Amino acid sequence: MNFIIRAARPEDCKAVERMIMELAVYERMPDQVKISHKELERDGFSQNPFYHCLVAEVPEAHKSTEGHTTVGYVLYYYTYSTWKGRCIYMEDLYVMPDFRERGIGKALVASIAKVGTEQQCMHLQFSVLDWNKPSLDFYMSKGAQDLTAKEGWHLLRFDGVALIKLAQEAP
Amino acid sequence: MAHYKLRKAEPEDVTDILRLIKELAKIVEKEDQVMLTEKDLLEDGFGEHPFYHCIVAEVPAEQQKVEGYSVIGFAMYYFTYDPWIGKLLYLEDFFVMKEYRCLGIGSEILKNLSVTALKSGCNSMHFIVAQSNEASINFYKRRGALDLSLAEGWRLFRIDKQCLLNLSAEE
Repeated sequence: MNFIIRAARPEDCKAVERMIMELAVYERMPDQVKISHKELERDGFSQNPFYHCLVAEVPEAHKSTEGHTTVGYVLYYYTYSTWKGRCIYMEDLYVMPDFRERGIGKALVASIAKVGTEQQCMHLQFSVLDWNKPSLDFYMSKGAQDLTAKEGWHLLRFDGVALIKLAQEAP
Repeated sequence: MAHYKLRKAEPEDVTDILRLIKELAKIVEKEDQVMLTEKDLLEDGFGEHPFYHCIVAEVPAEQQKVEGYSVIGFAMYYFTYDPWIGKLLYLEDFFVMKEYRCLGIGSEILKNLSVTALKSGCNSMHFIVAQSNEASINFYKRRGALDLSLAEGWRLFRIDKQCLLNLSAEE
């Protein structure tokens, strides 16, 4: 099957929103999705975008049963390591189930690896759920190291309520 | 009680920022892994599109406990993106020199970052902590942080530069 990987455009945000929800359903957390294509358009296509996105597109002849030609995406941004400098973080990677096993996921990862090396990034980081064996196997086969297992790193969060409370604390 | 002020880092602070980065790395016995130079910090933090932002804690000359150093703490952060909730503030590094601990400086830095996060339209602050660093984990949990690795099963992965080069050649 032919496909192309290209930079997302503002008009792709509805398709990306759809796929974000599909991925959230797979990750068993659909109720945590709070933003829509409007925020994606505002935050990804301004002068200083908060994220970047590549999409995988198939020709019209190979569209999905619902009529979609945008069948995968990778959402990423740049981060900074105080030890190494510029890095790239892959926030989301997703290919619609009917379009898997065709090299699209591999091409999306290769594309982001290319962006990372062109931008002189020292490494690519991302997070995977511990029960997601297909993804864990895929990434380990590409040379990924599990830093949570190896070095004990845990991801912590101050959510909206905790953040407001912190901001209001007296010195 | 020490008098100190928190302020946005200026280009001339890069010498002190690198010193504090190395001091923090030394504590975890990884000083030899710090590859960043003052030049990198200058280019990456104070150009047209900074990769990071930094606040520093400064004491007046008469309060210096370690000769010659008035910048005694820092926090480095940048903005990331969660496709479910939008903009986030990511806290990359956070350190106060041991001579200035237990004076409320760390708490004040965290409060400052929370205010910055909320003013910037962020819904959450994320960061990573090594599981073995119980003191830091307790510091954050006391203030309302949630350990997402424990609560939801997220594991952090890395693909280093050599693997990225190999992957980008696969495209």
